[in-house]
Amino acid sequence: MTDVYTRRQLLERAAAGGAVLTVPGFLAACGGSSSKSAASSHKLAKTLRFSNWTLYIDIDNKTKRHPSLDQFQKKTGVQIQYTEDINDNATYFGKIQGPLSRGQSIDRDIIVMTDNSRYPSLLIKKGWVEKLDKSAIPNIKNLQPALQHPNWDPNRDYSLPWQSGLTGIAYNDKLTDPVLTVPDLLENPKLKGKVTLLQGMGDTMPLIMAVNGDDPTKVTDASWDRAFKIVKKAVDSGQIRQFTGNDYSGPLAKGDLKAAFAWSGDVVQLQADNKHLHWNLPKEGGGIWTDNMLIPTGGNVYTASVYMNYYYDPKVAAEVEDYVNYICPVVGAKQVLLKKDPSIAKNTLIFPTKKMLDNAHNFDANALNNEKYITAWQNLITR
Amino acid sequence: MGFLHRHRGLTPYLLLAPGLLYLGVFFAVPLGFLLYQSLESGNFDVGYSFTWAWGNYWHAIRGYSSQFARSFEYAGLATVLALLFSYPLAYWIAFRGGKWRNLFLLFIVAPFFVTYLIRTLAWETILADQGPVVRFLRDIGILGSGGRLLATSVAVVAGLTYNFLPFMALPLYVSLEQIDQRLIEAAQDLYASKWKAFLRVTVPLSLPGVVAGTLLTFIPAAGDFINAELLGSTNQHMIGNVIQSKFLELIDYPAAASMSFVLMATILLGVALYARAVGTEKLTG
Amino acid sequence: MSAIAVSAARRSQDLAAAWAFVRRHVLTVYAMLGFAYLMLPIGFVIAFSFNHPQGRFNYVWNGFTFDNWKHWDGVPGLRSALVLSIEIGLLASLLATALGTLIALALVRYRFRARGATNILIFLPLSTPEIVLGASLLTLFGNRQISNVIQLGFWTILIAHVMFCISFAVVTIKARLIGFDRHLEEAAMDLGANEWATFTKVTLPLIAPAILASMLLCFAVSVDDFVVTYFNAGPRVTFPVFVWNSARVGAPPQVNVIGSVIFIVAVTGMVANVLVQIRRQRSAATV
Repeated sequence: MTDVYTRRQLLERAAAGGAVLTVPGFLAACGGSSSKSAASSHKLAKTLRFSNWTLYIDIDNKTKRHPSLDQFQKKTGVQIQYTEDINDNATYFGKIQGPLSRGQSIDRDIIVMTDNSRYPSLLIKKGWVEKLDKSAIPNIKNLQPALQHPNWDPNRDYSLPWQSGLTGIAYNDKLTDPVLTVPDLLENPKLKGKVTLLQGMGDTMPLIMAVNGDDPTKVTDASWDRAFKIVKKAVDSGQIRQFTGNDYSGPLAKGDLKAAFAWSGDVVQLQADNKHLHWNLPKEGGGIWTDNMLIPTGGNVYTASVYMNYYYDPKVAAEVEDYVNYICPVVGAKQVLLKKDPSIAKNTLIFPTKKMLDNAHNFDANALNNEKYITAWQNLITR
Repeated sequence: MGFLHRHRGLTPYLLLAPGLLYLGVFFAVPLGFLLYQSLESGNFDVGYSFTWAWGNYWHAIRGYSSQFARSFEYAGLATVLALLFSYPLAYWIAFRGGKWRNLFLLFIVAPFFVTYLIRTLAWETILADQGPVVRFLRDIGILGSGGRLLATSVAVVAGLTYNFLPFMALPLYVSLEQIDQRLIEAAQDLYASKWKAFLRVTVPLSLPGVVAGTLLTFIPAAGDFINAELLGSTNQHMIGNVIQSKFLELIDYPAAASMSFVLMATILLGVALYARAVGTEKLTG
Repeated sequence: MSAIAVSAARRSQDLAAAWAFVRRHVLTVYAMLGFAYLMLPIGFVIAFSFNHPQGRFNYVWNGFTFDNWKHWDGVPGLRSALVLSIEIGLLASLLATALGTLIALALVRYRFRARGATNILIFLPLSTPEIVLGASLLTLFGNRQISNVIQLGFWTILIAHVMFCISFAVVTIKARLIGFDRHLEEAAMDLGANEWATFTKVTLPLIAPAILASMLLCFAVSVDDFVVTYFNAGPRVTFPVFVWNSARVGAPPQVNVIGSVIFIVAVTGMVANVLVQIRRQRSAATV
């Protein structure tokens, strides 16, 4: 049982950090509040506990193992307990906030959350994540320049990107003419009941605001209202079938949907099932987001940092990229893939052009934390 | 055991103690915690504190009346449909199944050994826009060319009906099976019409099954969120979906807790009224 | 009686017979269609367990393969989820049945004051929506003091499952105990057996089938439970939670394999049981 295992680990960790094994010391270790001791230690833990989204790391189709993780184990001796238990930001945050708010460990060393949700900034604000041990991450120099200074973690003290992605419009050419603009998606009567939007406010709103010519990175009440009205109208008219997370992929592949707001990497993978699927950034502008690795309090900072350094080696990043097909944050991975798998390296959904990147917007972090917007959005998507 | 002999009156309490204590600690006490939480105020950022905030209940009812209404509407429809579907089936097994009755009963029970979620996902495939059912309905003209089942209330009610069928069919079967065949024969002699005999004798005698079945179907259906989530759209969300998202995603505990209580109270009130109408004995057996 | 009257009576008799025949068959046809409807989704589950998806998703029929059955374990996390579900199911059915048997004995055997209240306490969990059960347990386990003692995970899942299984156990065992002949026990006592010996030698063997039935029911309910588990599982993943998680991006065909296996095992067990019953009845009839 892993229960037993983690308890032993916590004991070891407490011992390594010099915590005396009295009862209070033990409890502190169990509660994860002895994180300081873990941070100061430069000794690798036996296991790295890594929570990630589903289908978000390289898988060997035959053995069903994750080669990049196996290599890490071979190299460092650290075994990786890899769990695909993140399906959407809100639910995962809901699951971990309880223990974290009580200063308890969540038995994870690395978690991955998206910057177009409020949660990465919230985790930092609440003090529920550890600072990275940058001395163990020399490869941080390979981080894409555009990603180096997000406003919620300006110096990347707490977070490092895992993958980025673009939000745009996917459509099925067997069922509809190309859907290239947001107004077409929201108003074309032929698409009525056959389109979905994304349930994250930070996913859907940048695309809507771009239609109005508003700046999604600096949301005002006026621009919010304008965008909100557009979505509400489409929902009221029955144009919108659902608000989804990843779960648009099934109906899209089966042909239940003609078009959808969709993430670039998903569509690259869905095209294997259905050649009729296409994906474009809307003409008015699309969305861009980044999934970030974070170390929750109680996690082993040093071991996690060593892993992050390993991932930021372009060779490793390329290996993961070859399977995942989102946008790689590691400079140099493209060069590796040009030799290894040129079709991936030349796919603009995976290595987008500068023009595409210029036309994709992040969503205002302040708006993500605005209670008024959150409530309004939630009431719109749950009725 | 000598102790028990001397205090025979204590024996039932000793037998009850472990189980009831367990239910007390892990059923009743948690409801107390939930009640406490439903009267808190605040928000996630600043934290919640207990303030006798009865307003939460008002908000729950006012702000989410449409989801409450929808939950009871869908659950009611599903219950009626399940009853209409199951009664003839249970009747057939009980009176025409012969020695293979238990085998036929299997057809009712067996599908429900496949995990609830897998069953519902299978319906998602079956009712899909490109799936066999929709294609058939389009061919015979019931659905227009753009018509669909998935992401409509039809699919949600259909899912609820299917998923809770055994809770209806089994009690029905049990009560039908217990009816003495000779009584029915006598009634047929008396009323001369089989149909009349059925209405005057069989139906009343099977009422305990009907009562148990409707309750066992309606209660879980009213609190369900899986069917609405997988088979419905945002316009089909039931109160379960709201409670689930407020609890697990938005971390708005007071709102979620007060909604839970409104749901539970409404159901218990309904059960109590129903019990009064049909007699308590039929409920608790 | 005139010939006409006789033939009229015969004709009406024939008509009645024909009508009965039609009606009998209408109901039979209905029953067959009903069974087909019940089995329809199961057919889809089994069919898609043989699907050979081109990409990473099991949405579209892409060809037949046995690979998913051969490599049922090929999806990371599936095995551990299944193991956890089975562990919880076994422990929960054992504990709930033990507690439930005692309660059922008390309810059927003794007259005591708290009887009505006990009946209600047994009935209440059954008439509370699952989401309320799950949510209330989460508020209990989420309490700061309590979470210092027990954190969401294996034990909280187990506690929750035992809780909602007890009522099922009581109901199942009570039904059996009511039709139980107390004279056997009295005879044993007359022969000098003490209460404990009577219980273990006479009562227990007689209610053993009910205990077994209760354990099977509790196991089935526990293994199938999603809602309460989803609220109280913390970082742990049971099989239904695994299905829910993977459904977001399309459940892999291996999930259908497990679903089919559960179905086949359950059906085989039940069919065997029915056949044994029928044979017993037959041999009893011939003796």
